[in-house]
Amino acid sequence: MLTLIKLEWQKHRIVTYMRNAFILAALLCLFIFAMDFLGIANDPDTGVPDTAPGMNHISATIELFANMSFLVFTGVMLSTFLISPYRNGTIHLMFSYPIKRQKILAAQMLAVWIFNLAALVITKLLLYSCVQLGSQFMVPAFVSDFDMTSYRFYLQLILKSAVLVSMGFIALYAGMATLSSKVTIVTSFLLIFLTQANIGDITLSNYAAVPLLLTVISVLFAFLSLYRAETKDLP
Amino acid sequence: MSYIVQTDGLTKTIQGKDLVQDINIHVKKGEIYGFLGPNGAGKTTVMKLITNLWKPSKGTITLFGRPLTAKSYDVYKRMGSIIEFPTFYENLSSRENLKLHCAYMGYHHPSGITSVLELLHIADAADKPVRNYSLGMKQRLGIARAILCKPELLILDEPINGLDPAGIKQIRNLLKTLCTEYGTTMIVSSHILSEVESIADTIGIIAGGKLLQEIPMQEIIEMNAAYIELKTSNLNYTACLLADKLQLTNFKVMDDAAIRIYDKNCSPQQISDLLAQHQIAIHTIYTKADTLEDYFLKLTTEGMPYADFN
Repeated sequence: MLTLIKLEWQKHRIVTYMRNAFILAALLCLFIFAMDFLGIANDPDTGVPDTAPGMNHISATIELFANMSFLVFTGVMLSTFLISPYRNGTIHLMFSYPIKRQKILAAQMLAVWIFNLAALVITKLLLYSCVQLGSQFMVPAFVSDFDMTSYRFYLQLILKSAVLVSMGFIALYAGMATLSSKVTIVTSFLLIFLTQANIGDITLSNYAAVPLLLTVISVLFAFLSLYRAETKDLP
Repeated sequence: MSYIVQTDGLTKTIQGKDLVQDINIHVKKGEIYGFLGPNGAGKTTVMKLITNLWKPSKGTITLFGRPLTAKSYDVYKRMGSIIEFPTFYENLSSRENLKLHCAYMGYHHPSGITSVLELLHIADAADKPVRNYSLGMKQRLGIARAILCKPELLILDEPINGLDPAGIKQIRNLLKTLCTEYGTTMIVSSHILSEVESIADTIGIIAGGKLLQEIPMQEIIEMNAAYIELKTSNLNYTACLLADKLQLTNFKVMDDAAIRIYDKNCSPQQISDLLAQHQIAIHTIYTKADTLEDYFLKLTTEGMPYADFN
Protein backbone atom coordinates (compact mmCIF):
# COMPACT_ATOMS: atom_id res chain seq x y z
CA MET A 1 0.00 0.00 0.00
CA LEU A 2 2.82 2.40 0.88
CA THR A 3 4.36 1.83 -2.56
CA LEU A 4 1.05 2.60 -4.22
CA ILE A 5 0.69 5.81 -2.17
CA LYS A 6 4.21 6.88 -3.15
CA LEU A 7 3.41 6.19 -6.81
CA GLU A 8 0.32 8.39 -6.53
CA TRP A 9 2.43 11.23 -5.14
CA GLN A 10 5.01 10.70 -7.87
CA LYS A 11 2.34 10.63 -10.57
CA HIS A 12 0.74 13.87 -9.43
CA ARG A 13 4.03 15.66 -8.71
CA ILE A 14 3.43 16.08 -4.99
CA VAL A 15 6.19 18.68 -4.83
CA THR A 16 3.81 21.13 -6.57
CA TYR A 17 1.17 20.50 -3.90
CA MET A 18 3.80 20.93 -1.17
CA ARG A 19 4.71 24.30 -2.64
CA ASN A 20 1.04 25.32 -2.82
CA ALA A 21 0.36 24.16 0.74
CA PHE A 22 3.37 26.14 1.90
CA ILE A 23 2.10 29.29 0.15
CA LEU A 24 -1.33 28.76 1.72
CA ALA A 25 0.22 28.30 5.19
CA ALA A 26 2.31 31.45 4.75
CA LEU A 27 -0.74 33.49 3.71
CA LEU A 28 -2.73 32.16 6.65
CA CYS A 29 0.12 33.05 9.02
CA LEU A 30 0.18 36.56 7.64
CA PHE A 31 -3.60 36.89 7.91
CA ILE A 32 -3.84 35.56 11.48
CA PHE A 33 -0.88 37.69 12.55
CA ALA A 34 -2.53 40.78 11.03
CA MET A 35 -5.83 39.99 12.78
CA ASP A 36 -4.25 39.31 16.16
CA PHE A 37 -1.57 41.98 16.28
CA LEU A 38 -2.26 44.58 13.60
CA GLY A 39 -5.96 44.95 14.39
CA ILE A 40 -7.39 44.39 10.94
CA ALA A 41 -10.42 42.65 12.47
CA ASN A 42 -10.95 45.23 15.20
CA ASP A 43 -14.04 47.39 15.42
CA PRO A 44 -12.86 51.00 14.84
CA ASP A 45 -15.14 52.27 17.63
CA THR A 46 -14.45 49.74 20.39
CA GLY A 47 -10.92 48.67 19.38
CA VAL A 48 -11.74 44.99 20.03
CA PRO A 49 -12.16 42.25 17.41
CA ASP A 50 -15.51 42.45 15.65
CA THR A 51 -16.30 38.75 15.79
CA ALA A 52 -19.23 36.39 16.13
CA PRO A 53 -19.95 35.14 19.65
CA GLY A 54 -17.22 32.77 20.81
CA MET A 55 -14.88 33.75 18.02
CA ASN A 56 -12.87 36.24 20.03
CA HIS A 57 -10.54 33.41 21.07
CA ILE A 58 -7.55 33.00 18.80
CA SER A 59 -7.76 29.18 18.68
CA ALA A 60 -11.30 29.36 17.24
CA THR A 61 -10.13 31.79 14.57
CA ILE A 62 -7.08 29.70 13.69
CA GLU A 63 -9.16 26.51 13.52
CA LEU A 64 -11.82 28.20 11.38
CA PHE A 65 -9.50 29.62 8.75
CA ALA A 66 -7.12 26.65 8.63
CA ASN A 67 -10.04 24.21 8.42
CA MET A 68 -11.80 26.20 5.72
CA SER A 69 -8.68 26.46 3.62
CA PHE A 70 -7.63 22.86 3.93
CA LEU A 71 -11.07 21.36 3.41
CA VAL A 72 -11.12 23.06 0.02
CA PHE A 73 -7.49 22.05 -0.59
CA THR A 74 -8.43 18.43 0.23
CA GLY A 75 -11.45 18.65 -2.08
CA VAL A 76 -9.30 19.91 -4.94
CA MET A 77 -6.71 17.18 -4.40
CA LEU A 78 -9.34 14.45 -4.11
CA SER A 79 -10.89 15.58 -7.36
CA THR A 80 -7.48 15.59 -9.09
CA PHE A 81 -6.43 12.21 -7.70
CA LEU A 82 -9.77 10.37 -7.92
CA ILE A 83 -12.25 12.14 -10.20
CA SER A 84 -9.98 13.38 -13.00
CA PRO A 85 -8.78 9.84 -13.89
CA TYR A 86 -12.40 8.97 -14.73
CA ARG A 87 -12.72 12.08 -16.86
CA ASN A 88 -9.39 11.86 -18.73
CA GLY A 89 -9.48 8.07 -19.10
CA THR A 90 -6.38 7.20 -17.08
CA ILE A 91 -8.57 5.08 -14.80
CA HIS A 92 -8.77 2.57 -17.71
CA LEU A 93 -5.01 2.30 -17.49
CA MET A 94 -5.01 2.03 -13.69
CA PHE A 95 -7.59 -0.75 -13.77
CA SER A 96 -5.55 -2.71 -16.30
CA TYR A 97 -2.82 -3.30 -13.71
CA PRO A 98 -2.59 -6.53 -11.73
CA ILE A 99 -3.75 -4.79 -8.55
CA LYS A 100 -7.12 -4.94 -6.82
CA ARG A 101 -9.17 -1.92 -7.88
CA GLN A 102 -10.27 -1.13 -4.33
CA LYS A 103 -6.61 -1.09 -3.30
CA ILE A 104 -5.79 1.38 -6.08
CA LEU A 105 -8.64 3.69 -5.06
CA ALA A 106 -7.80 3.34 -1.36
CA ALA A 107 -4.19 4.27 -2.11
CA GLN A 108 -5.37 7.36 -3.99
CA MET A 109 -7.60 8.37 -1.07
CA LEU A 110 -4.88 7.74 1.50
CA ALA A 111 -2.32 9.66 -0.58
CA VAL A 112 -4.55 12.74 -0.33
CA TRP A 113 -5.55 12.12 3.30
CA ILE A 114 -1.99 11.68 4.59
CA PHE A 115 -0.69 14.69 2.69
CA ASN A 116 -3.48 16.99 3.84
CA LEU A 117 -3.37 15.78 7.44
CA ALA A 118 0.36 16.49 7.56
CA ALA A 119 -0.07 19.84 5.80
CA LEU A 120 -2.93 20.91 8.08
CA VAL A 121 -1.14 19.87 11.28
CA ILE A 122 2.03 21.72 10.22
CA THR A 123 0.03 24.79 9.16
CA LYS A 124 -1.83 24.93 12.46
CA LEU A 125 1.42 24.51 14.38
CA LEU A 126 2.88 27.37 12.36
CA LEU A 127 -0.16 29.54 13.05
CA TYR A 128 -0.12 28.86 16.80
CA SER A 129 3.65 29.37 16.89
CA CYS A 130 3.26 32.64 15.03
CA VAL A 131 0.68 33.87 17.58
CA GLN A 132 2.79 32.59 20.49
CA LEU A 133 5.87 34.32 19.16
CA GLY A 134 4.05 37.57 18.39
CA SER A 135 2.52 37.76 21.84
CA GLN A 136 6.06 37.90 23.33
CA PHE A 137 6.53 41.32 21.72
CA MET A 138 3.08 42.68 20.91
CA VAL A 139 -0.36 42.91 22.51
CA PRO A 140 -2.79 40.44 20.94
CA ALA A 141 -6.34 41.54 20.04
CA PHE A 142 -7.75 38.03 20.54
CA VAL A 143 -7.86 36.05 23.76
CA SER A 144 -5.02 33.51 23.79
CA ASP A 145 -6.58 30.22 24.89
CA PHE A 146 -4.00 27.56 24.04
CA ASP A 147 -1.06 26.01 25.82
CA MET A 148 1.66 24.72 23.55
CA THR A 149 3.46 23.04 26.43
CA SER A 150 0.60 20.62 27.03
CA TYR A 151 0.46 17.30 25.22
CA ARG A 152 -3.37 17.72 25.08
CA PHE A 153 -2.89 20.66 22.74
CA TYR A 154 -1.04 18.48 20.22
CA LEU A 155 -3.40 15.55 20.64
CA GLN A 156 -6.44 17.75 20.02
CA LEU A 157 -4.78 19.47 17.10
CA ILE A 158 -4.03 16.16 15.39
CA LEU A 159 -7.48 14.67 16.08
CA LYS A 160 -9.35 17.77 14.90
CA SER A 161 -7.22 17.90 11.77
CA ALA A 162 -7.86 14.21 11.07
CA VAL A 163 -11.62 14.72 11.39
CA LEU A 164 -11.49 17.74 9.08
CA VAL A 165 -9.44 16.03 6.37
CA SER A 166 -11.63 12.91 6.58
CA MET A 167 -14.66 15.08 5.86
CA GLY A 168 -13.24 15.46 2.37
CA PHE A 169 -14.44 11.89 1.71
CA ILE A 170 -18.05 13.09 1.94
CA ALA A 171 -17.29 15.60 -0.80
CA LEU A 172 -15.46 12.87 -2.72
CA TYR A 173 -18.49 10.58 -2.68
CA ALA A 174 -20.63 13.35 -4.15
CA GLY A 175 -17.96 13.96 -6.81
CA MET A 176 -17.60 10.25 -7.61
CA ALA A 177 -21.36 9.83 -7.97
CA THR A 178 -21.48 12.59 -10.58
CA LEU A 179 -17.90 12.23 -11.86
CA SER A 180 -17.51 15.95 -11.40
CA SER A 181 -14.59 17.84 -9.88
CA LYS A 182 -16.81 20.88 -9.45
CA VAL A 183 -19.30 18.91 -7.34
CA THR A 184 -16.44 17.73 -5.10
CA ILE A 185 -15.18 21.26 -4.51
CA VAL A 186 -18.64 22.79 -4.07
CA THR A 187 -19.54 20.03 -1.57
CA SER A 188 -16.36 20.91 0.36
CA PHE A 189 -17.58 24.51 0.59
CA LEU A 190 -21.00 23.37 1.75
CA LEU A 191 -19.40 21.20 4.43
CA ILE A 192 -17.49 24.21 5.69
CA PHE A 193 -20.71 26.19 6.04
CA LEU A 194 -22.45 23.26 7.66
CA THR A 195 -19.79 22.62 10.28
CA GLN A 196 -18.16 26.00 10.86
CA ALA A 197 -20.96 28.54 10.36
CA ASN A 198 -23.09 29.73 13.25
CA ILE A 199 -26.69 30.82 13.71
CA GLY A 200 -26.68 33.25 16.63
CA ASP A 201 -24.35 31.55 19.05
CA ILE A 202 -25.20 28.05 17.85
CA THR A 203 -22.61 26.24 15.76
CA LEU A 204 -22.21 22.54 15.09
CA SER A 205 -18.57 22.68 16.06
CA ASN A 206 -19.62 23.41 19.67
CA TYR A 207 -21.07 19.93 20.06
CA ALA A 208 -18.60 17.28 21.18
CA ALA A 209 -20.48 14.48 19.41
CA VAL A 210 -20.22 16.21 16.03
CA PRO A 211 -16.56 15.30 15.29
CA LEU A 212 -17.27 11.68 16.16
CA LEU A 213 -20.37 11.62 14.01
CA LEU A 214 -18.58 13.32 11.13
CA THR A 215 -15.74 10.81 11.32
CA VAL A 216 -18.21 7.91 11.18
CA ILE A 217 -20.02 9.50 8.23
CA SER A 218 -16.72 10.21 6.45
CA VAL A 219 -15.53 6.61 6.84
CA LEU A 220 -18.90 5.41 5.58
CA PHE A 221 -18.67 7.64 2.51
CA ALA A 222 -15.07 6.54 1.90
CA PHE A 223 -16.30 2.94 1.98
CA LEU A 224 -19.16 3.78 -0.38
CA SER A 225 -16.67 5.30 -2.84
CA LEU A 226 -14.80 1.99 -2.94
CA TYR A 227 -17.83 -0.29 -2.81
CA ARG A 228 -18.56 -2.11 -6.08
CA ALA A 229 -15.31 -0.83 -7.65
CA GLU A 230 -14.42 -4.42 -8.54
CA THR A 231 -17.61 -5.19 -10.41
CA LYS A 232 -18.74 -1.81 -11.69
CA ASP A 233 -18.25 -1.01 -15.40
CA LEU A 234 -15.96 1.88 -16.15
CA PRO A 235 -17.58 4.82 -17.89
CA MET B 1 -7.60 -26.85 -29.85
CA SER B 2 -6.64 -24.59 -26.95
CA TYR B 3 -7.17 -20.88 -27.32
CA ILE B 4 -5.55 -17.91 -25.63
CA VAL B 5 -8.81 -15.99 -25.82
CA GLN B 6 -12.19 -17.60 -26.09
CA THR B 7 -15.61 -16.12 -25.52
CA ASP B 8 -18.78 -18.09 -25.23
CA GLY B 9 -22.13 -16.39 -25.76
CA LEU B 10 -20.66 -13.06 -24.71
CA THR B 11 -23.41 -10.49 -24.33
CA LYS B 12 -23.38 -6.97 -22.95
CA THR B 13 -26.65 -5.22 -22.30
CA ILE B 14 -26.88 -1.62 -21.10
CA GLN B 15 -30.25 -0.07 -20.30
CA GLY B 16 -32.07 -2.84 -22.09
CA LYS B 17 -30.03 -2.49 -25.27
CA ASP B 18 -27.71 -5.27 -26.42
CA LEU B 19 -24.38 -3.69 -27.36
CA VAL B 20 -23.01 -7.08 -28.31
CA GLN B 21 -24.88 -10.32 -28.43
CA ASP B 22 -23.80 -13.94 -28.29
CA ILE B 23 -20.20 -13.33 -29.39
CA ASN B 24 -18.06 -16.45 -29.73
CA ILE B 25 -14.50 -15.64 -30.67
CA HIS B 26 -11.53 -17.98 -30.69
CA VAL B 27 -7.98 -16.64 -30.73
CA LYS B 28 -5.18 -19.17 -31.11
CA LYS B 29 -1.77 -18.81 -29.50
CA GLY B 30 0.68 -16.77 -31.55
CA GLU B 31 -1.80 -15.54 -34.13
CA ILE B 32 -2.91 -12.06 -35.11
CA TYR B 33 -6.66 -11.83 -34.90
CA GLY B 34 -8.08 -9.00 -36.98
CA PHE B 35 -11.29 -7.67 -35.52
CA LEU B 36 -13.34 -5.82 -38.10
CA GLY B 37 -16.64 -4.03 -38.08
CA PRO B 38 -18.30 -0.77 -39.02
CA ASN B 39 -18.47 2.07 -36.50
CA GLY B 40 -20.66 1.15 -33.55
CA ALA B 41 -20.54 -2.57 -34.41
CA GLY B 42 -19.32 -3.52 -30.94
CA LYS B 43 -15.54 -4.03 -31.43
CA THR B 44 -14.52 -1.77 -28.56
CA THR B 45 -17.24 -3.24 -26.33
CA VAL B 46 -15.81 -6.74 -26.87
CA MET B 47 -12.29 -5.45 -26.17
CA LYS B 48 -13.45 -3.72 -22.99
CA LEU B 49 -15.08 -6.97 -21.89
CA ILE B 50 -11.95 -9.00 -22.61
CA THR B 51 -9.80 -6.53 -20.68
CA ASN B 52 -12.31 -6.65 -17.78
CA LEU B 53 -13.04 -2.90 -17.94
CA TRP B 54 -16.65 -3.91 -18.47
CA LYS B 55 -18.33 -7.00 -17.08
CA PRO B 56 -20.41 -9.26 -19.33
CA SER B 57 -24.18 -9.36 -18.87
CA LYS B 58 -24.17 -12.94 -20.13
CA GLY B 59 -21.62 -15.43 -21.39
CA THR B 60 -18.05 -16.20 -20.40
CA ILE B 61 -14.55 -15.14 -21.34
CA THR B 62 -11.63 -17.53 -21.06
CA LEU B 63 -8.11 -16.10 -21.10
CA PHE B 64 -5.08 -18.39 -21.09
CA GLY B 65 -7.39 -21.29 -20.34
CA ARG B 66 -8.93 -19.72 -17.24
CA PRO B 67 -12.30 -18.05 -16.88
CA LEU B 68 -12.06 -14.28 -16.51
CA THR B 69 -13.70 -13.03 -13.32
CA ALA B 70 -13.78 -9.71 -11.45
CA LYS B 71 -10.86 -11.02 -9.39
CA SER B 72 -8.63 -12.15 -12.27
CA TYR B 73 -5.86 -9.64 -11.54
CA ASP B 74 -2.90 -11.89 -12.36
CA VAL B 75 -3.97 -12.16 -15.97
CA TYR B 76 -3.19 -8.44 -16.46
CA LYS B 77 0.51 -9.22 -16.05
CA ARG B 78 0.33 -11.22 -19.26
CA MET B 79 -1.58 -8.62 -21.24
CA GLY B 80 -0.91 -5.29 -22.91
CA SER B 81 -3.69 -3.17 -24.33
CA ILE B 82 -4.82 0.04 -25.94
CA ILE B 83 -8.56 0.50 -25.78
CA GLU B 84 -10.10 3.39 -27.76
CA PHE B 85 -7.15 5.76 -27.38
CA PRO B 86 -4.06 5.65 -25.16
CA THR B 87 -4.19 7.85 -22.06
CA PHE B 88 -1.20 9.20 -20.16
CA TYR B 89 -0.22 11.43 -17.30
CA GLU B 90 0.19 14.39 -19.58
CA ASN B 91 2.34 16.46 -17.22
CA LEU B 92 4.93 13.66 -17.04
CA SER B 93 7.43 12.74 -19.74
CA SER B 94 7.07 9.52 -21.71
CA ARG B 95 9.99 8.03 -19.79
CA GLU B 96 8.28 8.84 -16.49
CA ASN B 97 5.01 7.41 -17.79
CA LEU B 98 6.73 4.17 -18.74
CA LYS B 99 8.56 4.00 -15.40
CA LEU B 100 5.24 4.29 -13.59
CA HIS B 101 3.78 1.60 -15.83
CA CYS B 102 6.64 -0.75 -14.95
CA ALA B 103 6.21 -0.01 -11.25
CA TYR B 104 2.49 -0.84 -11.35
CA MET B 105 3.05 -3.94 -13.46
CA GLY B 106 5.82 -5.18 -11.14
CA TYR B 107 8.21 -5.31 -14.09
CA HIS B 108 11.83 -4.46 -13.31
CA HIS B 109 13.89 -3.96 -16.43
CA PRO B 110 15.15 -0.34 -16.59
CA SER B 111 16.90 -0.74 -19.96
CA GLY B 112 13.62 -2.02 -21.43
CA ILE B 113 12.21 1.52 -21.31
CA THR B 114 15.00 2.96 -23.45
CA SER B 115 14.81 0.02 -25.87
CA VAL B 116 11.09 0.37 -26.39
CA LEU B 117 11.33 4.16 -26.82
CA GLU B 118 13.99 3.62 -29.48
CA LEU B 119 11.98 0.87 -31.13
CA LEU B 120 9.00 3.22 -31.52
CA HIS B 121 11.20 6.17 -32.58
CA ILE B 122 10.24 8.45 -29.70
CA ALA B 123 13.54 8.31 -27.78
CA ASP B 124 14.38 11.90 -28.78
CA ALA B 125 11.25 13.20 -27.08
CA ALA B 126 11.50 10.82 -24.12
CA ASP B 127 12.01 13.56 -21.55
CA LYS B 128 9.42 16.02 -22.85
CA PRO B 129 5.97 16.22 -21.24
CA VAL B 130 3.46 14.03 -23.06
CA ARG B 131 1.02 16.97 -23.33
CA ASN B 132 3.33 18.36 -26.06
CA TYR B 133 3.14 15.18 -28.15
CA SER B 134 1.26 14.91 -31.44
CA LEU B 135 -1.51 12.33 -31.87
CA GLY B 136 0.86 10.03 -33.75
CA MET B 137 3.52 10.26 -31.04
CA LYS B 138 0.95 9.46 -28.38
CA GLN B 139 -0.15 6.46 -30.39
CA ARG B 140 3.46 5.27 -30.62
CA LEU B 141 3.90 5.79 -26.90
CA GLY B 142 0.70 3.84 -26.27
CA ILE B 143 2.07 0.94 -28.30
CA ALA B 144 5.44 1.26 -26.52
CA ARG B 145 3.68 0.97 -23.18
CA ALA B 146 1.53 -1.94 -24.34
CA ILE B 147 4.57 -3.99 -25.43
CA LEU B 148 6.97 -2.80 -22.70
CA CYS B 149 6.38 -5.63 -20.25
CA LYS B 150 6.58 -8.27 -23.00
CA PRO B 151 2.94 -9.38 -22.84
CA GLU B 152 1.80 -12.73 -24.18
CA LEU B 153 -1.46 -11.16 -25.36
CA LEU B 154 -1.79 -7.74 -26.98
CA ILE B 155 -5.19 -6.13 -27.43
CA LEU B 156 -4.97 -3.13 -29.72
CA ASP B 157 -7.98 -1.06 -30.62
CA GLU B 158 -7.25 0.93 -33.79
CA PRO B 159 -3.46 0.97 -33.15
CA ILE B 160 -2.58 2.90 -36.31
CA ASN B 161 -4.91 5.83 -35.64
CA GLY B 162 -3.11 9.11 -36.19
CA LEU B 163 0.00 7.55 -37.73
CA ASP B 164 1.52 8.67 -41.01
CA PRO B 165 2.14 6.08 -43.78
CA ALA B 166 5.72 5.46 -42.62
CA GLY B 167 4.49 5.01 -39.06
CA ILE B 168 1.77 2.60 -40.22
CA LYS B 169 4.35 0.49 -42.05
CA GLN B 170 6.62 0.52 -39.04
CA ILE B 171 3.85 -0.59 -36.67
CA ARG B 172 2.75 -3.28 -39.14
CA ASN B 173 6.30 -4.66 -39.21
CA LEU B 174 6.59 -4.40 -35.44
CA LEU B 175 3.38 -6.36 -34.89
CA LYS B 176 4.50 -9.02 -37.37
CA THR B 177 7.88 -9.28 -35.61
CA LEU B 178 6.27 -9.57 -32.17
CA CYS B 179 4.07 -12.32 -33.51
CA THR B 180 6.71 -14.32 -35.38
CA GLU B 181 9.74 -13.85 -33.11
CA TYR B 182 8.18 -13.62 -29.68
CA GLY B 183 4.99 -15.61 -30.27
CA THR B 184 2.81 -12.76 -29.02
CA THR B 185 -0.88 -13.29 -29.60
CA MET B 186 -2.76 -10.21 -30.79
CA ILE B 187 -6.26 -8.98 -31.26
CA VAL B 188 -6.15 -5.94 -33.51
CA SER B 189 -9.10 -3.88 -34.59
CA SER B 190 -8.78 -1.38 -37.38
CA HIS B 191 -10.98 0.39 -39.85
CA ILE B 192 -8.14 0.32 -42.41
CA LEU B 193 -8.97 -3.09 -43.79
CA SER B 194 -5.93 -3.37 -46.04
CA GLU B 195 -3.74 -3.10 -42.93
CA VAL B 196 -5.53 -5.94 -41.18
CA GLU B 197 -5.45 -7.94 -44.39
CA SER B 198 -1.67 -7.70 -44.54
CA ILE B 199 -1.02 -8.92 -41.01
CA ALA B 200 -3.97 -10.96 -39.71
CA ASP B 201 -4.09 -14.73 -39.58
CA THR B 202 -7.76 -14.88 -38.63
CA ILE B 203 -10.51 -12.36 -39.17
CA GLY B 204 -13.55 -11.80 -36.97
CA ILE B 205 -16.24 -9.67 -38.58
CA ILE B 206 -18.74 -8.00 -36.29
CA ALA B 207 -21.75 -5.88 -37.27
CA GLY B 208 -24.76 -4.75 -35.27
CA GLY B 209 -23.30 -6.32 -32.12
CA LYS B 210 -23.17 -9.80 -33.64
CA LEU B 211 -20.18 -11.77 -34.86
CA LEU B 212 -21.01 -12.45 -38.50
CA GLN B 213 -18.04 -14.59 -39.31
CA GLU B 214 -14.76 -15.84 -37.93
CA ILE B 215 -12.55 -17.10 -40.70
CA PRO B 216 -8.84 -17.71 -41.42
CA MET B 217 -7.39 -15.04 -43.73
CA GLN B 218 -6.08 -17.74 -46.05
CA GLU B 219 -9.60 -19.03 -46.55
CA ILE B 220 -10.81 -15.56 -47.55
CA ILE B 221 -7.98 -15.30 -50.06
CA GLU B 222 -8.83 -18.70 -51.52
CA MET B 223 -12.58 -18.03 -51.56
CA ASN B 224 -12.10 -14.77 -53.35
CA ALA B 225 -9.63 -15.95 -55.95
CA ALA B 226 -12.14 -15.20 -58.69
CA TYR B 227 -10.10 -15.83 -61.86
CA ILE B 228 -6.66 -15.89 -63.43
CA GLU B 229 -6.14 -13.32 -66.18
CA LEU B 230 -3.62 -14.13 -68.86
CA LYS B 231 -2.16 -12.18 -71.78
CA THR B 232 0.13 -13.94 -74.24
CA SER B 233 1.76 -13.49 -77.65
CA ASN B 234 -0.60 -16.04 -79.23
CA LEU B 235 -3.99 -16.07 -77.66
CA ASN B 236 -5.73 -18.67 -79.84
CA TYR B 237 -2.95 -21.20 -79.51
CA THR B 238 -2.93 -20.55 -75.73
CA ALA B 239 -6.67 -21.25 -75.58
CA CYS B 240 -6.18 -24.53 -77.44
CA LEU B 241 -3.39 -25.58 -75.12
CA LEU B 242 -5.46 -24.82 -72.04
CA ALA B 243 -8.32 -26.92 -73.33
CA ASP B 244 -6.17 -29.72 -74.69
CA LYS B 245 -3.32 -30.08 -72.22
CA LEU B 246 -4.93 -28.91 -68.97
CA GLN B 247 -8.45 -30.02 -69.86
CA LEU B 248 -9.83 -26.63 -68.87
CA THR B 249 -13.32 -25.74 -69.94
CA ASN B 250 -14.19 -22.89 -67.62
CA PHE B 251 -12.32 -20.04 -69.34
CA LYS B 252 -13.15 -17.16 -71.62
CA VAL B 253 -11.27 -15.27 -74.34
CA MET B 254 -11.85 -11.58 -73.78
CA ASP B 255 -12.01 -8.85 -76.44
CA ASP B 256 -8.86 -7.13 -75.33
CA ALA B 257 -6.73 -10.13 -76.08
CA ALA B 258 -6.82 -11.68 -72.64
CA ILE B 259 -8.00 -15.02 -71.30
CA ARG B 260 -9.82 -15.34 -68.01
CA ILE B 261 -9.64 -18.76 -66.35
CA TYR B 262 -12.31 -19.41 -63.75
CA ASP B 263 -11.31 -22.98 -62.90
CA LYS B 264 -10.27 -23.01 -59.25
CA ASN B 265 -8.16 -26.14 -59.62
CA CYS B 266 -5.81 -24.47 -62.05
CA SER B 267 -2.83 -22.51 -60.71
CA PRO B 268 -0.86 -19.73 -62.48
CA GLN B 269 2.22 -21.92 -62.07
CA GLN B 270 0.70 -24.76 -64.13
CA ILE B 271 -0.27 -22.33 -66.87
CA SER B 272 3.11 -20.63 -67.04
CA ASP B 273 4.87 -24.03 -67.11
CA LEU B 274 2.65 -25.16 -69.98
CA LEU B 275 3.20 -21.99 -72.01
CA ALA B 276 6.93 -22.10 -71.42
CA GLN B 277 7.05 -25.66 -72.74
CA HIS B 278 5.32 -24.47 -75.92
CA GLN B 279 7.44 -21.32 -76.18
CA ILE B 280 4.56 -18.89 -75.88
CA ALA B 281 5.57 -15.58 -74.35
CA ILE B 282 3.50 -14.50 -71.36
CA HIS B 283 2.83 -10.78 -71.23
CA THR B 284 0.92 -10.80 -67.97
CA ILE B 285 -0.53 -13.42 -65.66
CA TYR B 286 -2.15 -12.65 -62.33
CA THR B 287 -4.84 -13.83 -60.00
CA LYS B 288 -7.62 -11.34 -59.66
CA ALA B 289 -9.02 -11.70 -56.15
CA ASP B 290 -11.50 -9.68 -54.14
CA THR B 291 -9.82 -7.79 -51.34
CA LEU B 292 -10.75 -8.21 -47.71
CA GLU B 293 -12.57 -4.93 -48.09
CA ASP B 294 -14.75 -6.38 -50.86
CA TYR B 295 -15.46 -9.41 -48.71
CA PHE B 296 -16.15 -7.27 -45.66
CA LEU B 297 -18.52 -4.98 -47.53
CA LYS B 298 -20.32 -7.93 -49.04
CA LEU B 299 -20.82 -9.47 -45.61
CA THR B 300 -21.72 -6.40 -43.57
CA THR B 301 -23.94 -4.59 -46.08
CA GLU B 302 -26.10 -7.54 -47.08
CA GLY B 303 -29.61 -6.18 -46.90
CA MET B 304 -28.41 -2.79 -45.70
CA PRO B 305 -28.89 0.30 -47.84
CA TYR B 306 -25.93 2.07 -46.28
CA ALA B 307 -23.20 1.39 -43.78
CA ASP B 308 -20.60 3.75 -42.39
CA PHE B 309 -17.15 2.27 -42.75
CA ASN B 310 -15.28 5.37 -41.68
